Amino acid sequence: MSASIGRFLRPWCPGILQARWSKYNPYYLEPVVSKEYFNTPETELTDEQKAERQLKTTHPIKAAPSNLTSSVFSDPLVSKFINMMMKDGNKVLARSIMTQTLENIKRKQVEKYHKAPPSEKDGIECNPYTIFHQALENCKPVIGLTSIQRGGKNYQVPTPLTDSRRRFLAMKWLITECRENKHRRTHMYEKLSQELLSALVNEGNVIKRKHDLHKMAEANRAFAHYRW
Amino acid sequence: IVRSLFSFLVNLQPTLFVLSAHLWLKNCRELMPSSYNASRFDQPVEASVWLKNFRITNERFLKQMKTQQKYIWSKREFTDEGHPLIEVIDQGLTRVKNASDSVGIVLKELKAQCQSGTFKLVVGVDGVNALWGQTTLRKEDKSPVYPGELTLIHNLRKLMKNDWNNGAVVATVTQTGSLFTPKAAYLPHELLGKDGFDFLDPFLPIQVTGYSEREFESCYQYYKDRHWIQHEKAHTEDGKKELIFLSNRNPAVLERICSFL
Repeated sequence: MSASIGRFLRPWCPGILQARWSKYNPYYLEPVVSKEYFNTPETELTDEQKAERQLKTTHPIKAAPSNLTSSVFSDPLVSKFINMMMKDGNKVLARSIMTQTLENIKRKQVEKYHKAPPSEKDGIECNPYTIFHQALENCKPVIGLTSIQRGGKNYQVPTPLTDSRRRFLAMKWLITECRENKHRRTHMYEKLSQELLSALVNEGNVIKRKHDLHKMAEANRAFAHYRW
Repeated sequence: IVRSLFSFLVNLQPTLFVLSAHLWLKNCRELMPSSYNASRFDQPVEASVWLKNFRITNERFLKQMKTQQKYIWSKREFTDEGHPLIEVIDQGLTRVKNASDSVGIVLKELKAQCQSGTFKLVVGVDGVNALWGQTTLRKEDKSPVYPGELTLIHNLRKLMKNDWNNGAVVATVTQTGSLFTPKAAYLPHELLGKDGFDFLDPFLPIQVTGYSEREFESCYQYYKDRHWIQHEKAHTEDGKKELIFLSNRNPAVLERICSFL
């Protein structure tokens, strides 16, 4: 009995070595942070959920990462963006830039809201989180290009992109554009807030880059059947 | 508390407000020897900023007040006795070189005229421990500058002395922004040092605690009314409980949290 469980808890190697993979044995379960999960009484659980609770009594649970919170204000998209902005592991700086960006966006929008006549007040969006989500949606490309080799030549072939790849590209373009193409002396949070507000109305350099990618994909439509 | 006092009294009596005395001790690009007294140093930028704000807030009182003495700015410029104080301020704003001296004149005049009883003066200083602390400024031969050698600080110290009546001085001591003080120091004696404490003695210490439940509620409602708290979850009960927990009802921390929510 103890020998078979011990087999699971020993250091474990997967069959094929990946470039980056979780070193945990698949026997381990994910930690759960939501309060609703623990506050539901026994009677309201479905059979699947009861089986899950049963598993938790026997299986070990992975250690919770430090950015996992039960806070109602935590946003996974914002956390992802902060991680992408981070350099040399300086999460404090990346997070402070993000909070300053959100404050800056909110300040500009609330000022506009208070100065606008009552008829236009409904149209102005003040919530920095919805603005961030919407701007990121507007920056996501629909179709991407991959380099495929045929007969010695490399062709740029239009391909569909997964949701995570699209989100990654939108964030990457936003960050690189703010780092490289703006005036040196402005703060990062200012550059980011300007870029996000213009992406909200489908203007700005990031939207332009997305449209360029779409045009290239449209232009290379002939090679689409090179995909396997 | 100094800010709230300021906003309340600005319409009733002349108020003198120094937003942060620590700003006068650091990051000064232009430090000039004073024209009035060669051993002291002027700070034209900080003085002109202060004069501009002072003028905007106290304009209606300054038009009525008159100078009691003739002040000579240079060979051809002077302000006669009996002219309104506004002229002194305008002189300081136009000729930036004389800004610190005009600040000194304004402070002296206000203190002298306040004792006659025509008006009550309220002075609010944030970070009064800066007046007796240390500066990061250096003279040209790299020797450190003491706060007593700066005209602005020297003139403000005269106001802090309790040899005038018909007015009130409200001051705070703070470690944030102060130079060469340990982060753990928060008591007045540690922050003011022996000189400052003896100078200000006797004073009424007022303990300012965090928000009470009612104050927190009013602050929260104010933010909601001004559309400052935008996060949907922050409007719920859970969100509010979390704000109380994260800020521990400290007003500064609450402001910083609500800024990005």
